[in-house]
Amino acid sequence: MGTKFTKTICPYCGTGCGLIIKVEDGVAVATYPDSEHPVSRGSLCIKGWSAHEFIHHPDRLTSPLLRKGDAFQEIPWDEAIPMAAGKLRETAAKYGGDAVCGLSSAKCTNEENYLFQKLMRMAFKTNNVDHCARLCHAPTTVAMAQTLGSGAMTNSISDLAGADCILVIGSNTAESHPVIMGEIYKAIDGGATLIVVDPRKTAVVQNAKIHLPINPGTDIPLLCGMMKHIIDEGLYDKDFVKARMEGFEELNEFISAWTVEKASGECGINPELIKLVAETYAKAKESAIVYCMGITQHACGTANVLAICDLAMLCGHVGKEYSGIYPLRGQNNVQGACDMGALPNVYPGYQSVSDPAIRDKFQKAWGVELSDKPGLTVTEIIGSAGKDTRTVYIMAENPALSDPDVNHVLESLKALDFLIVHDIFLTETAKFAHLVFPGTCFAEKSGTFTNTERRFQLLRKAVDPPGNAKEDFTILCLLGSALGLDFSYNHPGEVMEEIASLTPAYGGIRFDRLERGGLQWPCPDSDHPGTQYLHKDRFTRGRGLFVIPEHTPPKELPDDDYPYYLSTGRMFAHYHTGTMTRRSPFLNREAEKAYAEINPEDAIHLDVKDGEKIKITTRRGSIITTARITKRVSKGCIFAPFHFTEARANMLTNPVLDPLSKIPEFKVCAANVKKESQDD
Amino acid sequence: MLEKTKDIAKQILEEKKAGGIFGLMRNRWNVVQPHMFEDPAELDALVLEPKWLLAKLAMSILRSSPENYKLAVVCRGCDERALIELIKRNQIEKERILTIGIACSQEQAAICLCDRPYPAKLDAGKKVSGVDPFQDERVREFLIGNDKKRMEKWATVLKRCIKCYGCRNSCPICVCEPCKLEDDIWVQRGAVPAEMITFHLIRAFHLSDTCVACGACQEACPVNIPLLYLQLSMRETLKEKYGYEAGLNPEVKSPILSVVFEEPDTDREYPAWINSLREKDGY
Amino acid sequence: MNEPRILVFACRWCGLIGADAAGKKRISLPARFRVIPVECAALVETDAILRALAGGIDGVAILGCHIGGCRYNNANQTAIKRMELLKDLLDTTGIGSNRLLFSFGTAHEDYQFEEIIKNFFDELAVLSPLDPWLAPFGVIS
Repeated sequence: MGTKFTKTICPYCGTGCGLIIKVEDGVAVATYPDSEHPVSRGSLCIKGWSAHEFIHHPDRLTSPLLRKGDAFQEIPWDEAIPMAAGKLRETAAKYGGDAVCGLSSAKCTNEENYLFQKLMRMAFKTNNVDHCARLCHAPTTVAMAQTLGSGAMTNSISDLAGADCILVIGSNTAESHPVIMGEIYKAIDGGATLIVVDPRKTAVVQNAKIHLPINPGTDIPLLCGMMKHIIDEGLYDKDFVKARMEGFEELNEFISAWTVEKASGECGINPELIKLVAETYAKAKESAIVYCMGITQHACGTANVLAICDLAMLCGHVGKEYSGIYPLRGQNNVQGACDMGALPNVYPGYQSVSDPAIRDKFQKAWGVELSDKPGLTVTEIIGSAGKDTRTVYIMAENPALSDPDVNHVLESLKALDFLIVHDIFLTETAKFAHLVFPGTCFAEKSGTFTNTERRFQLLRKAVDPPGNAKEDFTILCLLGSALGLDFSYNHPGEVMEEIASLTPAYGGIRFDRLERGGLQWPCPDSDHPGTQYLHKDRFTRGRGLFVIPEHTPPKELPDDDYPYYLSTGRMFAHYHTGTMTRRSPFLNREAEKAYAEINPEDAIHLDVKDGEKIKITTRRGSIITTARITKRVSKGCIFAPFHFTEARANMLTNPVLDPLSKIPEFKVCAANVKKESQDD
Repeated sequence: MLEKTKDIAKQILEEKKAGGIFGLMRNRWNVVQPHMFEDPAELDALVLEPKWLLAKLAMSILRSSPENYKLAVVCRGCDERALIELIKRNQIEKERILTIGIACSQEQAAICLCDRPYPAKLDAGKKVSGVDPFQDERVREFLIGNDKKRMEKWATVLKRCIKCYGCRNSCPICVCEPCKLEDDIWVQRGAVPAEMITFHLIRAFHLSDTCVACGACQEACPVNIPLLYLQLSMRETLKEKYGYEAGLNPEVKSPILSVVFEEPDTDREYPAWINSLREKDGY
Repeated sequence: MNEPRILVFACRWCGLIGADAAGKKRISLPARFRVIPVECAALVETDAILRALAGGIDGVAILGCHIGGCRYNNANQTAIKRMELLKDLLDTTGIGSNRLLFSFGTAHEDYQFEEIIKNFFDELAVLSPLDPWLAPFGVIS
């Protein structure tokens, strides 16, 4: 009987639920939840239950492809790898190593990300490596590193169930991280108060005690107003601030200008309500702040996160078992990709490339000289394509849908001398590639993912790759060897040992230690049981630092030509660019067509009925999509999920960047909406 | 109990009574998962904890195996009842399935609020007395008391639904293809929370006479909706008025489905409320 | 609450006769109800009743033939048994089984139909609405 059950980890969001894939005669046919898993405990969301559906889709890439004109031609591996190595070397020789850039993948394993950044840094003496964290939680890594010393979730997911007050800001947790929402509900059942800050009435709002529908992009005024009230009423944790913090005087002076009335004027919330929320948060014994894209994807995203950290540290709600700051990471391994140094300014473990001692350590370990100049970010790589950037190697990323101002992205991709795309399907980005490598999905490889609560988890191989596709790990080893590097690893476990030797925080991570339940870093040695929550007696940087959060309103506000607020985001049935979910029949049936949410009053004004076509235009471009009339969005606002390739919401978004973390302002721009004539 | 189960399982394989044993396996790293034991030597790794419902998995294994393949399932009371219901509904052929019945502990019965924590064919372990779910505090909050308050309570909890379909996917009885819940006409697609009345009550009613109260729905629910409680009063009515319990006897079909000429009790008086169901008799 | 809305499934052998007769006599009835003729009361799916309640209809009435009088092999007995369980489910959730009305054999005269419908309207008018199920509530905003 060819029936086998394999335990592995979900490839979708950062919750990292445990899955059991049922394989019959080499074909993955069903997915079941894992009753033993420490996070998901026998449950899954709709995407998790459908995780097997795309694995054997006929669109899977089975052979390396070479572009000939407009079509792709299959070529063997022993032609593809040398060609890629040759082209990359050619560019480096002609324009310098910095003309070669790499986009690593938050979907690939830790070992693969480590090898990717090692390859780029060693072979081309460049630090131009980045990945899609730039588009989601870059502000978190920057801001929390500044204030706390560590940019990761301070507690564990299950700690949420013990909080007494949970403040959810800018997160549609029920749709983006459903299983984490389950923990929040456990807390509510135990008597906790849920406060939600979101311009939209999402499913989370419908279950909350207090809802603050702030004006888009006014999080800092709200948080500063709250902090002022907390300081005025003396509700902040004076002992904590004295013993463990730095910079309170500067913060206090800055906050004194943010009266509750001023805050109320900016964010549009009743001052009494702001005071109530501030008091509830400060007075609760254990308070948690949960946040996601609504905070980070702004031109002041870094400052937004600073404000959150300041608020939490002010009230002493960090470094305790249930209280803390909970940034919900999006991709299944974006935490891991960041941890593994697939970032332009740090090596694995967030060790800075500019620090001579650290660079020396890596130079000795890898045996080559390394660049000391921090590299380009994703948005800068795309922006400089055809100019400073000439050849790009993209591993399992889809900028043609996920980056802002898609029209410009497509132009940039066309302007490259040579583009190598390494993916499992021929994505919209891969269509611009000169060379395509067929990789493997989560069920076809072994390795580790790190979920949002810093937990390294083991993947187990369930099925074989289709056709001639090779494991991503194997492809990187082959490419590395072709570039003259010593990438002779037999198994991802060996890579993990190397990582552990170079990174103190992951020193005790080994594959066999991860078999049951995984391990949460920091885990410095092989006896350490992993760390449930951080900053217990001291912050990672020693004392916590209060940093001033300067408010910047959104860069493009509605005006006469473009009178609507446009926001983009996720919905529960699809995942990001839809590469996998739109090829899963069950998920695709749940949400088949692209849509945009419109308020009923606006719909009447535009003479649009539910299901009719509308055209949304911004200064970047326009899309035609279906209207969904709902009270979830307020009057004058539109929300479009970005999953649908036939109506790419990112055609419309504003590529303006946050100056510190370089994240685009996905959440706010100005748009115009018109009814589209019905000739289908 | 574990040793006895292993012995029985080994015997079944050696005597070729079944091609495989379906149960839980613990590997050398103490990771437990469902496993098809086809080699008697592997049975040393068989374990019985934690509670893991195997009926639906067993059915899908049988479906994809050759016609003469027989499967033995290590099952608790609820699993066995689920298998019996599947047999009644022609989803599993009776001849192809064997059960190794194990009893649940008192603690497990209390956790599951189970009134029958042992299978009818008990092979290992000792029967413990069941628990009456209607005595439980939380159940009473949801089932008994002021109508309006109860409606709000149910609404609060059902509004959390994230439409994961976990309840339907894990329920051993939910095997319909196509499933009505996926049909646009009945349940609105693409919106969270799932439409409460249509998604949950349609599913609850479809199970009315087949639900075996295994609790798989509740366990699979990420947001802790007490889905089992929706079924309890219907199960109680079936027990009181028709003496019927789902999953006890493969020969006894549900009274709702029975052919009219074979009414279970022909002397039954039809209640006076034939005129309208407004008058509740002794409720 | 606004005037309640009622959906009536009437089996065409007994239930519909009463409805027709009431119509022919131009008996004055509250306006917000619709009659859907079905061959037999047993054909009414419980899912349809639930869908009606979810769609904003306040009450559903099912009119069938008296026991022993069903044209289709006593299918109305099956219907009664099924509805008994639906009553339980609706009571459990607090929606209340008084949103369902069954009449098996007592609506085939025009005045009977009139009485049943009028009583049903009166009953529904005092019930609290189903709103908590269909819209968010209790949020301070």
